[in-house]
Amino acid sequence: MTDIPPPPMSPEPSYGAPAPQPPNNNLVWAILTTVLCCLPLGIVAIVKAAEVNSKWQAGDYAGAQASAEAAKKWSIWSAVAAAIVAVLYILFFVVLGAASSSY
Amino acid sequence: MVEPGERLLARLHPSVAPLVVGAAGLAATAYIASVDPHEGGHYPTCPSLYLTGFYCPGCGSLRAIHDLAHLDLAGAWGMNPLAVIALPWLAWRWLRWALESAGVSVTTRPAPGWALYLLAGAVILYGILRNIPALAPWLAP
Repeated sequence: MTDIPPPPMSPEPSYGAPAPQPPNNNLVWAILTTVLCCLPLGIVAIVKAAEVNSKWQAGDYAGAQASAEAAKKWSIWSAVAAAIVAVLYILFFVVLGAASSSY
Repeated sequence: MVEPGERLLARLHPSVAPLVVGAAGLAATAYIASVDPHEGGHYPTCPSLYLTGFYCPGCGSLRAIHDLAHLDLAGAWGMNPLAVIALPWLAWRWLRWALESAGVSVTTRPAPGWALYLLAGAVILYGILRNIPALAPWLAP
C-alpha cells in the first residue's frame, strides 16, 4: 500500500454539529460477494463494515478510518479471488471437455 | 486516496459510473431472465458447491434473480431468501449513488455497528442451517 493519509477527523467530538457520515464501509461490495460469489471473504468484509460503523459511533474516528481501509482491502481481495476462481473453473471445464472429446 | 481508475472517472461526468453499472446490471438481469438457471447445463455449477457439496449463503441467487425477473416472488424466496432481501437493498444503494452523482443529496443514517455484526452472524448461521436436511424445504435452494 502507498502512504496512508492522516485521518481527516480529529478524535475530539465536534461541537453540536450534526455527525458527518462515517468513512465508506464498502458494505455493497461485501453483500455482492456474499450473495453472488459466496466467498468467506465476503463475510469478513461484512464484519469489517460493522467495525467501521461501530468505531465511528463510539467516536473512534481514526479506528473507523483504519477499518474502512481494511474493509476496502477485503472487498478488493474477494473480487479478485472471485475472478481468479471463475477463470480457473472455466479453464478446468474447457480442459475437461477437450480431454473427453479427444479420441 | 485517489487511484488511477478513480482519476479517469473524475474526468467524466459523475453520473457516468452509476449509469454504466446500472446498464450492466440490467443486461445481466435480462440475460438471467431469458436463459433459465433452473435448467441444468445453462450455467456451470457454482465452484464452491461443486468442490464442497455444501450450499453456501449465495446458492440459488441466479435462480432467485430469474424468478424475480419473472415476478415470481414465492419462487425466488424458495431459492434464496437472503438474495430476495439483499437485491432490493442493492437496488436502493444504486439509486442513492445515482441520485448523489446527479447532485441530489440523500440524507441517511449509517447503520448501527451491532446491526451489521448481527447481519454477519445471520449470514453465517443461514449458511449452516440451509445444509441441515430437516430445514432444506425452507432454506435449501
